Amino acid sequence: MLSARDIMTANVITISGSATIADAVKIMKDKGLRALIVDRRNDSDPYGIVTETDIVYKVAAFGHDPKKMRVYEIMTKPCVTVNPDLGVEYVARLFANTRIRRAPVIEGKLLGIISISDILKKSDFVEKPKQLYIEDRLDVAREEARAICAAKGATSPECAAAWDEVEELQAAAADKRREEK
Amino acid sequence: MMQAQEIMTKDVATISGSATIADAVKIMKEKGLRALIVERRSYGDPYGIVTETDIVYKVAAFGHDPKKMRVYEIMTKPCVTVTPDLGVEYVARLFANTRIRRAPVVEGELLGIISISDILKKSDFVEKPKSEFELYCEENPSALEARMYD
Repeated sequence: MLSARDIMTANVITISGSATIADAVKIMKDKGLRALIVDRRNDSDPYGIVTETDIVYKVAAFGHDPKKMRVYEIMTKPCVTVNPDLGVEYVARLFANTRIRRAPVIEGKLLGIISISDILKKSDFVEKPKQLYIEDRLDVAREEARAICAAKGATSPECAAAWDEVEELQAAAADKRREEK
Repeated sequence: MMQAQEIMTKDVATISGSATIADAVKIMKEKGLRALIVERRSYGDPYGIVTETDIVYKVAAFGHDPKKMRVYEIMTKPCVTVTPDLGVEYVARLFANTRIRRAPVVEGELLGIISISDILKKSDFVEKPKSEFELYCEENPSALEARMYD
């Protein structure tokens, strides 16, 4: 499985929480970025993030003056962060569950940023779709197969079909283990 | 006030609702797009949209096979559309209220697509922020409050 480190964007720019929104927009335009990471005030302070969505939804939509508003007024801090070793499929699931589109990649310090565009454009989910929680699904399929065979008889077609499904999942799980090695 | 048609992206790609997700990803990668507009089935049919968020949240996050899933299973149709003469501040407000980030610009036919990136990078909201009151005065030049600028 590819991990966040493999597909993240290492080119990440930080900004101070006290900077103006106009400054943030200028940096985003100059560098072609959709989000900036907000600097920590010290080593134990959490990271923050300010995205183009924050700026459009909270500043442009209300006609507020970007030269008079500050990053700390619209940033998300603390923000969801991702460990560089997290598998890409888990990043996608985390993003879907938290309804976010990008997050800083952190291990001690800021390493990069990962976004849904990175997942779409750099990961291998099209060529090699990977089902998560396959071992859990295997447990369920086994339990169900046993129940079906007990109810319908060990020689029934339903029983055979249920065990076929278990075998398919076992094959998929074995493939996944081999890839991870 | 700047209008949607001044900052929209005219380079817009369409896709059929029956295409596979793998096809959609291929087009998005090749053209560097974050969304595709789903073609209408007939003149009276609404437009749809499929974005990279839809694909990551609904396909990649579940490990579904993009070669076996179709655009119609994850698209948003009908989608919010914008008319070309809508002011950019109103586009921003519409996007904030509906929690969307891009919409097709439509007038009879598909003219382009407008996104929060277009608003951020091409509009003049930093140089010329417009308050509710200023927007109101621009639209109602004969109102008493607006006439104080005469």
